[in-house]
Amino acid sequence: MRILFSFLLLIIIILLSFLIGPIWIRPDKILADPIFWQIRMPRVLLAALVGMMLSVSGAVLQGALKNPLADPYILGVSAGAAVGAALAISLKLAFSVFGISSIPFMAFIFSIAMVFLVYWLAKNKEGINPQILILSGVAVSAFASAVLALIIIISGQIQSIYFWMLGSFSMASMNDVFTLLPYYLAGLFFAYFYSKELNVLMLGDDLAGTMGVDVLKTRMFLIVIATLMTSAAVSVSGLIGFVGLIIPHFVRMFCGQNYRLILIYSALCGALLMLVADALARTVLSPMEIPIGIIMALIGAPFFLYILRRNKR
Amino acid sequence: MTSLSVKKLTCGYGDKVVLNNISFEVESGTFLGIVGPNGCGKTTLLKAIGGIIKSDGVEISEKNRNLFSLAEIAREIAYVPQLLEPIDGLKVKDLVMLGRSPHQKRLSVESDEDNKIADWAMERLKVKGIKDMQSASISGGEFQRVSIARALAQQTNLLLLDEPTSHLDIRHQIGIIKILAELEITVVAAFHDLNLAARFCQKILLMKKGEIKAIGKPEDILTAENIWDVYKIKAEVNKKSGHIKLLP
Repeated sequence: MRILFSFLLLIIIILLSFLIGPIWIRPDKILADPIFWQIRMPRVLLAALVGMMLSVSGAVLQGALKNPLADPYILGVSAGAAVGAALAISLKLAFSVFGISSIPFMAFIFSIAMVFLVYWLAKNKEGINPQILILSGVAVSAFASAVLALIIIISGQIQSIYFWMLGSFSMASMNDVFTLLPYYLAGLFFAYFYSKELNVLMLGDDLAGTMGVDVLKTRMFLIVIATLMTSAAVSVSGLIGFVGLIIPHFVRMFCGQNYRLILIYSALCGALLMLVADALARTVLSPMEIPIGIIMALIGAPFFLYILRRNKR
Repeated sequence: MTSLSVKKLTCGYGDKVVLNNISFEVESGTFLGIVGPNGCGKTTLLKAIGGIIKSDGVEISEKNRNLFSLAEIAREIAYVPQLLEPIDGLKVKDLVMLGRSPHQKRLSVESDEDNKIADWAMERLKVKGIKDMQSASISGGEFQRVSIARALAQQTNLLLLDEPTSHLDIRHQIGIIKILAELEITVVAAFHDLNLAARFCQKILLMKKGEIKAIGKPEDILTAENIWDVYKIKAEVNKKSGHIKLLP
């Protein structure tokens, strides 16, 4: 029932988003409007896909690492992906093989290196140290951001890459949507396929191991899935943080700790949040655009602190 | 039938050997209590049987445990850790239902059978009345029973418990050990309280420094002599009631 309702809500918000923007589209003339076909539709679809991917990957990381503060942005996955993507763009390595673009691939290589570095730093004999995990993520992120800034300055394309880095859907094209689609489908499918393992992992590594879960293999696989989704999303839309943190937390408030539901609702609510935030991004200071990454950081950073404080209790 | 046999088990953590050449057998349906001082290897032994520590020399139903797949062994042995971390947002019935996961197919929803078995497990542990409560908000004694119900829902022939009664008041201690004694399956559990173990366990395994000091019926094992040897505590054992009076 609730799923149906959320799904309908998502459809309504998508339809509304088609209309809203610096130039409003009249509903009765939508199909004849070139703005709809060339700008609004790709942008709205891309925002929905990215919102789903980021929030599902946040939920997966929280489950795999058993850390409520895990989020692709905080763990350095996004920054790593941004470095990879920026390198691909500035070194003119952007090409595509069999329709698969090299940019998400480069983004994936760099972000997977980042996330395993962070994981390795936080791992000890007893398991994963939750504080060190977050702190290493922050430090690795800062390093990657510096490298990113350096790439941007050296490449000389400061404005275009900088705007992309702050996170934005303003350049969205249907091409981006198609680039993202295979990662989206594979990511969501495998995440859901492993929802049983995510549930059992809640009980801790030792116990999960006695309940038929190969803990280490499963954790690695889940991290790869989350990284794949995040890096693909970052490579088309830039750095958008905190979606993967806010949404799964919000979702858990009404569906409890069942990853089957958490993943579905995270996808639906993640798309909703991204659509609303992007509608704000393109209208609030119209005709100027606010990068959506800035909006998310303005909402997300205080939320991160709120969770931090609640968990301390 | 032999439910569990441990043959020349030697294991530990890294280079440190904790268990040294341990061998014993447990008949199907027996309630075996493992006792011994802190650091004698009770937890390590349970972890080795449960597969949390890799080892060779554990046989389940006369088959080496390393020959089972992870999913298969999860349907043979259930493990109850000493302290399960409470999980925010997880209801009692959901926690118990997690015990069904080794029996469930991927992407399948809970079957009627799963629900029936989870209900049965909660009934056995007397937590059915609180099935809709948040597992993080119930008392320590209730939570421990829920944790055991989770293991029971796994529907195994062998149940391992690491000090299930520590941290609990005396009423809950007796409540839990009574329930364990009534189970039809093989139960192997570590205990600290010698009197409780003597009264409810069918067999006692007394450990000393990573080795077996003695195994057998409680009255044969928990003697003043053995207690002195293992704990260095003087004790008086009442021949008639079997009650152990410690004389520190």
